[in-house]
Amino acid sequence: MDTEVTKVGDKGIWVCRSLDRLFIRLVGRGTFQNSRALRGYVQDLLSQGVREIFVDLRGCQGMDSTFLGVLAGIALKLRQNKSGAIHVVNVGPRNFELLQTLGLDRLLEVSSDLPAAWFSKPVPPDHAFQLLPESDIELLTRPLDKDETADLMLEAHENLQRADGRNVQKFRDLTKMLRDGVEQRKARTKDAS
Amino acid sequence: MKDFRIEREARGNVNVVRLSGSLDMYSFPKLEAQLNSLFHQAQYRIILDCRDLDYIGSAGLGALIGFAKQAHEHDGDVKLLNVPERIFKIIELLGFTKILQVHPTEESALAAFGAR
Repeated sequence: MDTEVTKVGDKGIWVCRSLDRLFIRLVGRGTFQNSRALRGYVQDLLSQGVREIFVDLRGCQGMDSTFLGVLAGIALKLRQNKSGAIHVVNVGPRNFELLQTLGLDRLLEVSSDLPAAWFSKPVPPDHAFQLLPESDIELLTRPLDKDETADLMLEAHENLQRADGRNVQKFRDLTKMLRDGVEQRKARTKDAS
Repeated sequence: MKDFRIEREARGNVNVVRLSGSLDMYSFPKLEAQLNSLFHQAQYRIILDCRDLDYIGSAGLGALIGFAKQAHEHDGDVKLLNVPERIFKIIELLGFTKILQVHPTEESALAAFGAR
């Protein structure tokens, strides 16, 4: 099976739904800057019945903890409902080490190539993939919103802490700082009203 | 993507740590080891020169906050120097400038330690 990236050089998150399966190709970096676009898109599709997600890292140049935390949150939701799984495929040694470091190799189905599950149903052709809006971090058209970004990062890192106990200490300072910010914002909003 | 590199120089009782490349979850342990080593030697006055840093991930930023807080507990600090605009925007966006002081020149960063 040929899994060439849809348009070589076009960075971003490429997606294609095929029945109850969602195929995601990450080209370039997955960071807190494009995680929000992915989270919203996947949440919509989960509510529409998508149960199996394939994340192809063949064109991936790196992922930050927020992006991985968003993936972890989706996987935790699928696991909680016992309704599906996330397969992360074409995982190189560097990304595999990252997933292991965060304990996500036990939450996600990780494969260095294409697993049997990939071939169990028809796989969409390259031209069927579409670039998710606002997913090329070098070409973002609107500035990131401070509150939305803080909320997303907090949620993502709490997901990582739920996914593996070792992450509690690892992200303690970051989550505390973000949580304090959220609390202060709530207090300001309350005062203003 | 450039490899991550660290170089350290002593400026009196302040350590200037020059960073280059991408500071992501893969490379962060190198910086973590360097900072832990300095802390074990009771050297809590640190300037991180970010001039040649082309990327910093959210986990890296979070960990820097932890190191800055540890340094504060020992009357020290972890200050940032020459932060590229795209990275500064992220630090500012997240409100992390409350903990991480950012300086435009080495002189101002060193002077800020002198004033403590």
